[in-house]
Amino acid sequence: MALLELKEISKIYGFGDATTIALDEVDLSVDKGEFVAVMGPSGSGKSSLMNMIGLLDRPTHGTYQLGGRSVARLRPNQRAKVRRDRVGFVFQSFNLLPKITALENVALPLMYKGVGTTRRLKHASAILGQVGLADKEYFFPKQLSGGQMQRVAIARALVNNPDIIIAGEPTGNLDSESSRLVMELLGEIHALGHTILLVTHNPELTRYVTRVVYMHDGQIVYDEQTAIGEVPKLARRASLLLQRRTAEDDYAGVSALMGIDNEKPKKTKRTKRRTARRKPVRAHKQARKIKR
Amino acid sequence: MMWRDIKLAIRTMRSAKWRSLMTMTGIILGIVSVVTTLSLGEGIKRQVLKQVASQGSDLITVRPGNFLQRNQDGQISGISGVEKLRFPAGSLSDQDLELINGAPGIGEIAPILSLDSGVSYDGQAYQGGTLIATSNNFLEVIGKSMAHGTFFETRDRDRRVAVIGRTVAEELFKENVPIGRSIEIRGKEYVVKGVVDDFPAPLLGLTPDYNRTVFIPYSLGQQLDSGRLLAMVLVRPSASSSSSELIKTLSDRLFQAHGNQADFTVLGQDENLRIIDVIVDLFSSFIAGVAALSLLIGGIGIMNIMTVLVGERTREIGIRKAIGATNRQIASQFFAEALLLSLVGGLLGIGLAGIVNLSLLALTHLQPVITWQMLALAGGVSLGIGIVFGLAPAIRAARKDPIESLRYE
Ligand SMILES: Nc1ncnc2c1ncn2[C@@H]1O[C@H](COP(=O)(O)OP(=O)(O)OP(=O)(O)O)[C@@H](O)[C@H]1O
Ligand SMILES: [Mg+2]
Repeated sequence: MALLELKEISKIYGFGDATTIALDEVDLSVDKGEFVAVMGPSGSGKSSLMNMIGLLDRPTHGTYQLGGRSVARLRPNQRAKVRRDRVGFVFQSFNLLPKITALENVALPLMYKGVGTTRRLKHASAILGQVGLADKEYFFPKQLSGGQMQRVAIARALVNNPDIIIAGEPTGNLDSESSRLVMELLGEIHALGHTILLVTHNPELTRYVTRVVYMHDGQIVYDEQTAIGEVPKLARRASLLLQRRTAEDDYAGVSALMGIDNEKPKKTKRTKRRTARRKPVRAHKQARKIKR
Repeated sequence: MMWRDIKLAIRTMRSAKWRSLMTMTGIILGIVSVVTTLSLGEGIKRQVLKQVASQGSDLITVRPGNFLQRNQDGQISGISGVEKLRFPAGSLSDQDLELINGAPGIGEIAPILSLDSGVSYDGQAYQGGTLIATSNNFLEVIGKSMAHGTFFETRDRDRRVAVIGRTVAEELFKENVPIGRSIEIRGKEYVVKGVVDDFPAPLLGLTPDYNRTVFIPYSLGQQLDSGRLLAMVLVRPSASSSSSELIKTLSDRLFQAHGNQADFTVLGQDENLRIIDVIVDLFSSFIAGVAALSLLIGGIGIMNIMTVLVGERTREIGIRKAIGATNRQIASQFFAEALLLSLVGGLLGIGLAGIVNLSLLALTHLQPVITWQMLALAGGVSLGIGIVFGLAPAIRAARKDPIESLRYE
């Protein structure tokens, strides 16, 4: 049984003419121990999908099972508890609390769980040691480099021993050396058996992952397994597409992908249905453009 | 809410001391005015009690002007026009004095004739004092004794002698025992015979400030003042009578003598308490209004700042929610901050009220008293304000959407 299982998950924002379909009946299942990179052009629904998986948001339709438990329809407080116990977030902008030390930042999720001060600081200290920041416990975020802050954030995500770690462009604000360190750290964490979802625009980072999911227009249009240390061809190709930003280019990109789809053995099962529903999605896209 | 929320709130408050102080000003001022008002009222009531105790509860004063109503049994049924104490409508004359003197049940009687001062010493006018002409038994009636020298006696009837209050001695002669020295009243010399013991401080104009008074024999006063309208007549019942009986008799007799017109007030000593109560309540309710307004503004100030803080800290809220804080945990964090602001504001208010009290004690003749009930009230009120005005911003914080909050810059 998969660790997380999304079935026909949709997220629709707004209503009437301003409707946006951020996620369009997405099916996704991730097993324990996978390291999944989620790629796709801007607006393709990566963040929406991660928010859904991380229980920051609720889907408009669909079912979501996390560790065998149905979590799609939970109330906000129950979702908070699932986040606390099963999900760790790593953000592009680190999102550490500026007025407390690195150690206290790492210990924060434990506080919300009700762990006593001494125990949680001890535990947080051990985790900080694991990410190589044992000597920075009493530093405030502003006294740390970007890479160090991100490692503190990773320690914070790890502290509750979560089922999944969701990393949204964790290297987006880092230079290449810090990026490498952060990715290696995530790689190590993965090697310890953790399940990680990584959103990225940088195909180079797919070197560290075991699977790449490519999104477009709120759908998963491509999904492939990859060996660690390898950048799959498709990801490289996707990066070329990403540099073009007009809607036409996006369509062109999708067409290109479809072309590749035909060559590749692993292919999304739902191509037909997807083409059939393309129309309404385009209509929404049109509406969005007019709005802009 | 938990202890950790309070610790967190203390930390937040420490990191923004000035802003916190500004936020608390409304509460602080409100609590200061509440506590000061109550303690002044309490102080005055205690002074009256002390006065009643020192002068004996059977002392009766008859004054011109009517400011209270009595029922059939002679109990006070209403008080109105307390301002008439200062601007009496109606009068007491020598005839009234005769009438009072002749009433059954009279023990002792001392008329008080208030004269336009005109006292001077060594060519210097004595400002701010009172000149009173009264009878020899004044001290017995009012239940006081001399500090130095003697009061005037029957043989002083037409001698130019004076007895002075303590403050007069200090202010006019700059010495404690100026016996034998002479003061000048309307061009005539009066020899000081004695200094009267300290009187309790006067109460809201109900009694003259006897410590600042120059007393002269009644007969001399009558010569000085042709009008002879009495400021007050002090009476004690005889041993066989009671003060309530006497109050009723005097009231009835004067009522008839004044042509069925109640333009005078007969008041028992212990009834002073009732009147003081009314005056204190009047004055308290006015200040209480001001204080309530200030507390309201203080509460709104806290709500305001908390709302701003919740806005400013949207991202922090997003982060906390992302890592698993429940709505309740977020709410209690901000609620604790609001409570802390109002409680610390209340404590500072109490502290400041203490300082105000000490200054009043040192610099005025007021004797405010702070009781633990007042402190409990102040604490309760500040807690209440924190609860009422802290809840809305806390709920607002709790309801924030985590995704939008995380995007907030
Ligand atoms: N709160 C919202 N209200 C309305 N529309 C939204 C909202 N959030 C996202 N969307 C829309 O949903 C679609 C998917 O957005 P999403 O943020 O998931 O894209 P993304 O793949 O993360 O893009 P990027 O790479 O730029 O971060 C976009 O068209 C976006 O405009
Ligand atoms: Mg995004």
